[in-house]
Amino acid sequence: MEHQPKNQISRKGLRVWRLYGMIQTAILAVLMIGAGVLTYFFDWPQWLYAVYAAIIIVYGALFIYLFPKIRWERWRYEVREQEIELQHGLFIVKRTLVPMVRVQHVDTEQGPILRKYDLAEISISTAATTHTIPALITAEADELRARISVLARVAEDDV
Amino acid sequence: MSETYYKLHPVSALINFVKGLKELIVPFLVVFGVNLFRDGGISAMFNQGWQGLIPVLIGSVVLVFVLIAGIIKWKRFVYWFEDGELRIEYGLFVKKKRYIPFDRIQSLNYTEGIFHRPLGLVKVKVETAGSGKVGQAEAELTAISREDADRIERKMEEAKRGVQREMAVESDLAAVEEPVVEEKKPTKTLYRMTMKELLVLATTSGGIGVVLSAAAVFLSQFSELIPYDAIYEEVMLFLRFGYLIVALTIFVALLIAWVISVILAIFANYQFTIQTDEDHIYLTRGLLEKKKVSVPFKRVQGIKISQNPLRELFGYATVTVESAGGSIGDKDEKIRLFPLAKKSTMLPVLQELFPDMDWEPAMAKAPKRSIHFYYRLDFLWMVPFVAAIGYYFYPYGLFALLIVPVIVLLGIWQHKTAGYALANRQLTMQFRGIGKHTFFMLKRRVQAIDVTQSYFQRRKGLASIQSTIKSGMMGATARIEHMEKDDASRILAWYEPSGQRAAHTEKSQPELFSG
Repeated sequence: MEHQPKNQISRKGLRVWRLYGMIQTAILAVLMIGAGVLTYFFDWPQWLYAVYAAIIIVYGALFIYLFPKIRWERWRYEVREQEIELQHGLFIVKRTLVPMVRVQHVDTEQGPILRKYDLAEISISTAATTHTIPALITAEADELRARISVLARVAEDDV
Repeated sequence: MSETYYKLHPVSALINFVKGLKELIVPFLVVFGVNLFRDGGISAMFNQGWQGLIPVLIGSVVLVFVLIAGIIKWKRFVYWFEDGELRIEYGLFVKKKRYIPFDRIQSLNYTEGIFHRPLGLVKVKVETAGSGKVGQAEAELTAISREDADRIERKMEEAKRGVQREMAVESDLAAVEEPVVEEKKPTKTLYRMTMKELLVLATTSGGIGVVLSAAAVFLSQFSELIPYDAIYEEVMLFLRFGYLIVALTIFVALLIAWVISVILAIFANYQFTIQTDEDHIYLTRGLLEKKKVSVPFKRVQGIKISQNPLRELFGYATVTVESAGGSIGDKDEKIRLFPLAKKSTMLPVLQELFPDMDWEPAMAKAPKRSIHFYYRLDFLWMVPFVAAIGYYFYPYGLFALLIVPVIVLLGIWQHKTAGYALANRQLTMQFRGIGKHTFFMLKRRVQAIDVTQSYFQRRKGLASIQSTIKSGMMGATARIEHMEKDDASRILAWYEPSGQRAAHTEKSQPELFSG
């Protein structure tokens, strides 16, 4: 675990994750407000309001601020001539090593939110696994996809 | 060029018919069953005149229809060989054609059912690398004679050789050899299951679960038809005889389920044989239905040796071959190389089948300080659970505490089992859920390696390592938990094609790479 993979994903990825966090928090807030209305009509204890508010605030703080930040800082990738190395994870850090020879195909994909931020995610598939790098600038992702597919074709089986 | 068209054996019509019946058996049972319970049994059906006979009439019409469909399916099915392809034409209403190039055929699997055996026939499943649909082989010849099956195999060999010859010509090799029509090396029998092994297998197999769940499913299917009110009173009467009888009944039911599972296991694995020629392993088994599976060596991705605790005690183990491709959803997707054998019997055979693998490598074990990682987490979510049971069902609920030592002991056992071995080209991983599994993988078959570290593992310098190989249409994963961080680095370094990390690690820890 001494040296980390070199490249980080786009800074804009962090913004997108924050946005996802906000959407989730908004949905949660709607649910909590619903619970609040029920509390009002059925005369449930007053302190429940505080609980609802606390849930929204804690969830928001974690999923809008803290988790995206840790995830973004943790996310590293490196595409070398003969292998791809990935590192990601929130509580559990996962490092993955995929030899170029094993790569079968590479896809890039772009949802509406990612497109707005000019980002794309890139998926690398082997015969048995798929690995995704979540947020790269579109041009960069396309370039990387082309590079991986060239390298994968060139790479020779050593054993 | 006129090709010879071949048909299936007429008995296929019968087999199609029986297969159709099998699919209809549940609806039939429901229709007739309902009538039986509803208006006073079967006799009522006949007393009501022609109206009572409607279900019977419909039933017979359906039967006749299924029979005719079976015959037409057989009539319509032809196959022939053309342009290095196996071509099949079939279909009940819509005529379908399927052309399979011989060089894409991975294996021909033979099955002999009870209809096949007296007539010397086989059912042939043709499997290709990318058999798409779930649980479906690329093509299935319901019943053909042995000679016909051999002819397909011969044509396939010829076609494959033909392709090789063409390639040789294209690549301009100086000496274009005469097509060497060498006979394939005869198959060699490596292992035949003994009666003792068969009995041990049958009696210790987990098949009992299957039978029980089948019974449960069966009961739930018909629960609406069972007159519970009538049964209820009898049950109350029955209960007065006390728990003893209830317990006894359950025991007898379990015993019967177990006996059935033993018999099924014996039927399925009777005369299990391993044969091999240069490029395939052939596995044959079965009493009533004889199955033959062929596995090409080049599709073997890894070997797994598994032992449940009971079998481990007596030194028995099961060996599975993880093989690429094949049809998913098929029960034979995980191919059992040894249903059950002593380690001492299987090792020589494995050695002969896969000579370049090391079957008894020295394992590096998990470090001592990681031992509590194996039960700590289970412990945490167990505590509220045990507390709740203890509280609500006091005092008997306190017996739930007994689960704690069990969890701890299992954790210690898992820690003791976990280990790995690295050789030049081979990675071996050993781990335990409840049963013990040992995975043997070649480096060039490993698709990816993951190393994970939780916050707590990082503090203690530990890491979990996971290796994925291809198996069936998907992947199979071997995972060892809570190993030394350096072990993880070593495995990554071994796996990395560019060897960057190896160079790096070697400088810092030269003594680890003295081989």
